Amino acid sequence: MKLLNKIMFWFTGIVFLVTPISMFVSYNNIKAQIDKSHEQRMAYENSLIAKELLKGTSPDKLTNGHAVTIEKLAGSLPEKREVVTEQSSYIPALKRKECLLTVHSFYNINGQNYEISTSNYVTKSNQIFHGMMNAVIWKIILILLGVFIAARLLSQQIIAPFKKTLKAINHFNIKKKEKIKLPQTSIKEFKELNQFLEKMTERAVEDYASVKEFSENASHELQTPLAVMRTKLELLSNSNIDASQASLITDMHNAIEKLSRINRSLTILTKLDNKEFETTEVVKFDKVAAEVFDVYSDRANLKEICIETHIDKQINVKMHPALADMLLNNLVGNAIRHNVHGGTISADLTNKNFSIRNTGLPPEIPTEDLFKRFKKSNQCAESIGLGLAIVKQICEVSNFDLSYVYEDGWHHVKIDFNSN
Amino acid sequence: MKVLVVEDNKELAGSIYDYLSTEHYICEIAHNVEDATEKLALFSYDCVVLDIMLPDGNGLDLLGYIRSEHMDSGVLIISAKDSLDDKIMGLEKGSDDYITKPFHLPELNARLRAIFRRKKMEGSNLIVINEISLNPDTLVATVEDTVLDITRKEFDLLMYFIINKNRVLSRQAIATHLWGDYTDNLSNFDFVYQHVKNLRKKISAVNGRDYIETVYGLGYKFNTAAQ
Repeated sequence: MKLLNKIMFWFTGIVFLVTPISMFVSYNNIKAQIDKSHEQRMAYENSLIAKELLKGTSPDKLTNGHAVTIEKLAGSLPEKREVVTEQSSYIPALKRKECLLTVHSFYNINGQNYEISTSNYVTKSNQIFHGMMNAVIWKIILILLGVFIAARLLSQQIIAPFKKTLKAINHFNIKKKEKIKLPQTSIKEFKELNQFLEKMTERAVEDYASVKEFSENASHELQTPLAVMRTKLELLSNSNIDASQASLITDMHNAIEKLSRINRSLTILTKLDNKEFETTEVVKFDKVAAEVFDVYSDRANLKEICIETHIDKQINVKMHPALADMLLNNLVGNAIRHNVHGGTISADLTNKNFSIRNTGLPPEIPTEDLFKRFKKSNQCAESIGLGLAIVKQICEVSNFDLSYVYEDGWHHVKIDFNSN
Repeated sequence: MKVLVVEDNKELAGSIYDYLSTEHYICEIAHNVEDATEKLALFSYDCVVLDIMLPDGNGLDLLGYIRSEHMDSGVLIISAKDSLDDKIMGLEKGSDDYITKPFHLPELNARLRAIFRRKKMEGSNLIVINEISLNPDTLVATVEDTVLDITRKEFDLLMYFIINKNRVLSRQAIATHLWGDYTDNLSNFDFVYQHVKNLRKKISAVNGRDYIETVYGLGYKFNTAAQ
């Protein structure tokens, strides 16, 4: 639900709740006030008549033409000198009930007790109610209209900077090294929000840049000395060397190779962690898979490994192209390396998943642990133990599900594309 | 062939210089953009080996300069970053090839020769050594006019040996040449061994001379002086 609609919803609810209560209160007040003023007026009239009676004016003359009755009382005066009665009666001419309000006043005039009663038709309560009902309906309509219009205006005036902020966050790209531009606002809360966002995004941009710089530096500053060592060894191996020196050079070559691979793999992992590969492109996964299998075919042949592939056509997967290549390289490379001589690899690619199975020795540690960095089954000393960590990270970045099981002599790695 | 090496690391530049000099290249070295620009303005080079990260600028700018001045030098970029962006940018800006640190000197040599061949600086495209001749365009290898029945990989391997003849080629250098970026996680030495074994078998099958020697388990050497 939109913020604005939520506010409107609550506001309308409050209006509907408060209006009947206020209506009830004002109805009672108005009715009491009207009755009271009628009573006061009629009591006053009664007192005027009492004064006339005191002067000796005959009661008939006084009652003539007035809705007044004067009666002599036989007994003593009641304790209450003023009694108000209300009586509803049907008036055929008006075809409705009318309310007759009568004020009875008791006086002792010249030793004689009198009851003077003045009566008048007053506005009946349900008439007031009808009148009020009308007004209330108008009131509610006007309030709702007002709320609706105010809400539109509010959204333009007050919520607008908030909406702009939301839009700015959505379009914010950490890689562009641009500061986030947030709208000016006079509202305190939004100001605080914007300040907070500005600070956070600035930090994020700095962190991103420093990690990126680190991975770039790590690769450059380490690869250059490695290149120096490697080339010097190559020059050295072309001089007059004997067998023991050659063996030393071989060991150094191996160490350099390993160092270089570790450096490259860690750099890739850092870049993956830092989300430097955007998954905006659609990769023709079937083509990449076919290429990778082709590249490895000669090595599979040398190890007499039989590769069976079932690759569906037109498999488009949303991921970074470099990652698709890296992912398949690692998986196919692993399937060959950890295979037995004369083994089998079977790979299936559909638009839902990619699955690769290969024969091989059982893993010495649980398969989930093999995804951890530098964890490896000892049978392959040449591996550096980062391949599956990279595979896992690529799957995370690309929003794939990854599973690896070992069953009946088969290593089975499966990747679900999650139709991303 | 005249080559300008633009590399700020003096030791690495020295290694390249040593290797290329013994391959009979005329090699000159520049350690920064300024030196390189001056040398490029004064002399003409068949090929420029260009490091991207230089102390006073970016190698890609130098590449832009070479292309904007319409120099017909081939350009081989060396970079420590194997990030995709640099690779694509380098090729888009008109470099002929790209190699990443830490590279092998025989690989650098092979890439340079490939650039020369493409630019037809070596006249005929045929690579000939004694009775063996290779045609990189048709991928046909012959020994004394007998066509060798070899695979694409074996052809690559033989060409790599001949280009770097009389040099010790380590197994890593051979693996990197044959499989490039795809070498990362395989026990390549067995594969190198098998490829070399097969190649030697096929050459001797047509009574060709066996030039390929094993060097103490370190690697192999295509020895033209072999008997």
